[in-house]
Amino acid sequence: MLWRLWFIAPMVVALATVVLFPTVFLFWMSTQHWLVTDPDQFYVGAENFTRLLSAKDFWQSLRVTVAYLVLGTAIMLVIGLGLALSFANTKSGTLLRVMIVMPLIIPPVVAGFTWRFLLNGEIGFIGAFLLPAVGFEANLLADPKGALFSVVIADVWSRTPFMFLILLAALQGIPRDLYEAARVDGAGPVAQFMRITLPMLRGPLVVALLFRIIDAINTFELIYVMTKGGPGRATQVLSIFGWRTAFQELDFGQAASLGIVMLAITLVGALIMFRRFLRPAGQDV
Amino acid sequence: MDPTYNRGIAILRATFLTIVGIFTIFPLVWLIIGSLKTRHDALALPPRLIFTPVFDAYHKILAGGILNAFANSLTIGLTNVALALVIGVPAAYALSRMRGAVQENLSFWVLSIRMAPLFSVILPLYVLFKSLGLLDTRFAVALAHLSLTLPLTVWLLMTYFRGLPTELDDAAMIDGASPLQTLLYVIVPISRPMIASVAVVVFIFSWNEFLLAFFLTSRDAQTVPVVVAGLAGTMSFDWPLIAAVSVCSMLPAFLFVGVAQRHIVAGLASGAIK
Amino acid sequence: MTAAPRISLALAAIIATASGPALADTEVNILAFAPGFAWADMFGPSGTEKTDKLRAFEEAEGIVVNMEFADEETARQKVLLDLVNETGTYDLVMLGSDGAVQTFSYAGYLEPLDDYLDTAKDYFDADQVYPQFLEANTVNGKLWALPYYSFGAGVIYRKDLFEKYGIDEFPGTVAELEDVLRTIKAGLEADGMDDVHTLTMRGAPGEEPSLDLAGFVYADAGFPAWFEGGPTTPEDIKANKAKPIFTSEFRGGFERFVEWSKEFGPPGIATHTWVDMMNLYGQGQAVVLMPSAINGFAALGGTQDENVRDHTGFAPSPVGASGKPVQSFWTFSVGVSAQSANKEAAYKTLAFLTGEQAMQGFAESIGWPYSTFPSITRGEVLTAKWPTELLDQVEASYEQANPHYFPYIPELSAFMERIGTAASEAISGEKSVEEALNDLQNWAEERMERAGYYE
Repeated sequence: MLWRLWFIAPMVVALATVVLFPTVFLFWMSTQHWLVTDPDQFYVGAENFTRLLSAKDFWQSLRVTVAYLVLGTAIMLVIGLGLALSFANTKSGTLLRVMIVMPLIIPPVVAGFTWRFLLNGEIGFIGAFLLPAVGFEANLLADPKGALFSVVIADVWSRTPFMFLILLAALQGIPRDLYEAARVDGAGPVAQFMRITLPMLRGPLVVALLFRIIDAINTFELIYVMTKGGPGRATQVLSIFGWRTAFQELDFGQAASLGIVMLAITLVGALIMFRRFLRPAGQDV
Repeated sequence: MDPTYNRGIAILRATFLTIVGIFTIFPLVWLIIGSLKTRHDALALPPRLIFTPVFDAYHKILAGGILNAFANSLTIGLTNVALALVIGVPAAYALSRMRGAVQENLSFWVLSIRMAPLFSVILPLYVLFKSLGLLDTRFAVALAHLSLTLPLTVWLLMTYFRGLPTELDDAAMIDGASPLQTLLYVIVPISRPMIASVAVVVFIFSWNEFLLAFFLTSRDAQTVPVVVAGLAGTMSFDWPLIAAVSVCSMLPAFLFVGVAQRHIVAGLASGAIK
Repeated sequence: MTAAPRISLALAAIIATASGPALADTEVNILAFAPGFAWADMFGPSGTEKTDKLRAFEEAEGIVVNMEFADEETARQKVLLDLVNETGTYDLVMLGSDGAVQTFSYAGYLEPLDDYLDTAKDYFDADQVYPQFLEANTVNGKLWALPYYSFGAGVIYRKDLFEKYGIDEFPGTVAELEDVLRTIKAGLEADGMDDVHTLTMRGAPGEEPSLDLAGFVYADAGFPAWFEGGPTTPEDIKANKAKPIFTSEFRGGFERFVEWSKEFGPPGIATHTWVDMMNLYGQGQAVVLMPSAINGFAALGGTQDENVRDHTGFAPSPVGASGKPVQSFWTFSVGVSAQSANKEAAYKTLAFLTGEQAMQGFAESIGWPYSTFPSITRGEVLTAKWPTELLDQVEASYEQANPHYFPYIPELSAFMERIGTAASEAISGEKSVEEALNDLQNWAEERMERAGYYE
């Protein structure tokens, strides 16, 4: 019916302006030899892409991104699920729950600074006082592995509440009588968790993961303010690599090709999750 | 059930919550403490736990141009919420009442729009807003944020609306209501908690966003995260000031979490599950 | 000019014509960094006021000066986007002689200033300035920016700690200094002073370390050892098809910089910027700060540590194996955008903001022994504040400086970024010096190839 089109039209127009134009522009950029340092700008076809895929930096950044994503997500899942289970069956602890959700709403820039300041090896409370007091002397932010771990911690701090909220809501939505029935059948808590809780959480988990992956791949400012991608390139995720390529090395064509590769990676990933897990969503929950 | 088992669970839960609670809350407390110290005290090691609080940093905020950034962030956030809802609610409703391939592709397209990495769309957006003459305006930032918040709005509301029984629409339509009237007088009123929580999520997103705001603004329209990032790069590493601005940047968060948390949970829940 | 900017330029022109009548006074917009510090005599301690000095200029010239301050990183990105898109928002842009001047002048985004020099001689007389600071902003035979505060290389160190470990004089060569650093380190360790570090330098990823690191390379090799034979202009590189030499002649200086950072620097050095350098020294946590001594003078301005205040010494930068001193030479350069609608007024403002009066104001408010005008180095304010010997040494550091101790090529920003990051990698132990330099070399070869140097 026609009214639906009218309802959708403003959205399409709005998104077309702020999204379609930049995207088309991005594709065009990615086919250009466009170095700010070079007055000549010309069409090079897929050259930006072939060069990107043969660059050591790209693969290193991809590895860092994957490590950052997997490590952070795994910790978040564990803590988020633990929190959700802890709060699912209780009305008490509202204040604590509110406090635990707080970091989600704090600007990532602020989160990054706070953690950088805490972990700093010269003046930070944790990095220069607490850790040395327990005999840990390494400077976290200046060590390649330590720096990656540090940004993961800050990321976990800032993003776990999202996972927690979604899982909590999902847990609270599971009908009580399912558990009653299981108990009558003689299922213990572990069996109940495996047979009821986990399957019922599948849909919400996929949504949470989907948002999380998109979020993590685009993480920029948290890492930027904490380490600028360093030391060296130890925390240089793809978005920082792209930023450097565009705004420090002034290679706009190359940066655009990276943008498109990243878009493709997320799109394919999301599409698989979408088709595999979400299409029947609503029906199977 | 076995009481020792239950007690074990309770101890486990308490320990877990204590650890996570400290991990979560400590940085916030440290930030607040930091904002009340002098520059020298803030950097002192071992840390001074007993000190006379000073409010210099907050005075600086009130005195200087930083206040303007708060006004900007607020305006941009609210504009963004208004745009996202006015455009997003009808679209989400229409999508929720469609079935089949068109609906599916459209909603995937809407979702996928969130995915282009920001660094790569900065230059195109800059070119776009420059040609529209909108650089360094609050409206430009609100529009740019819309590219991220509108898909989110549509996605969350669409899944929610789909969960509402269609009998409601049908009843209204039979009474002769137009689709717009149905939306405004039937759907929106019963969805108020969900719409409110989406509004909160959108506002917070816009309030927190850094990269687009960083590039599209210069003098007039700078937002709070841009100011925070800027402060850290100045000559004097003024930690108390950074901390104070950071604490202030959390104010809307305190308000919203206090007031609307219940709705956020309920809203996200239904959005996520359905 | 490129296609996209041309389109947007046309649109911008339409919008510009449509927007309002012209004001009686010409407006000049500036983008710079370090509010309350740069031009504190003009814009006040907050960077948001206008002082009488500035108002007098505005009235005399019929110009309204609009200053926008941002932090350094922000300012750099903003300048880039503004110039590349030929927006023309800013008439005057902050540049820096370590990449931006070179990149943007070759790309045609700046206005050459040679023909303007005579139009505002009352404010800025080029003959009265240390020639090196102008040379630093000269690319391809033309002057593209005027220097605001600027500096040469040097060492700031703690005399009391030197004496404590039996060193009477600051060594003159890099090799001798290495022995001294070792002695001090051993002494500090023996005394259990583990929060004091022997040396503070900067090793953060990005362009941060490159200015100083290039100085080490220059001192070691005796020439800007980036390309075969040491050419510093695109023409010379093209004429000789000079290939990058990051794995050969460049290596000595790079390795020294990395080794010193690892051995004598604070544990966090792979993340340190000049701000950390400054803070560490100011808090009495470092014995030697080099080769950008200016960061040490900055530390002196804000320190609350009595030992630092009372026992700081200055020494000329030590000479490397080649007999040339380690360099660190930089000017806070400001240029006129090619898109400026009021270039004459913009230049006049620039001349005022970088002229003798402005530098006098800088000496009065900040008081560092660095100035672009000999008349101010030797003027009342600085001679009252600093010993003559120190001012002599500072002046000598300009004379010994080769502003072109790194190549003046359009790709300089990209190279600075890569070199600094390679240093950070090697310092943090993420890569060995060998690996880091191999990667740098491969990247450089490819980049130069693509930019058409070897056709």
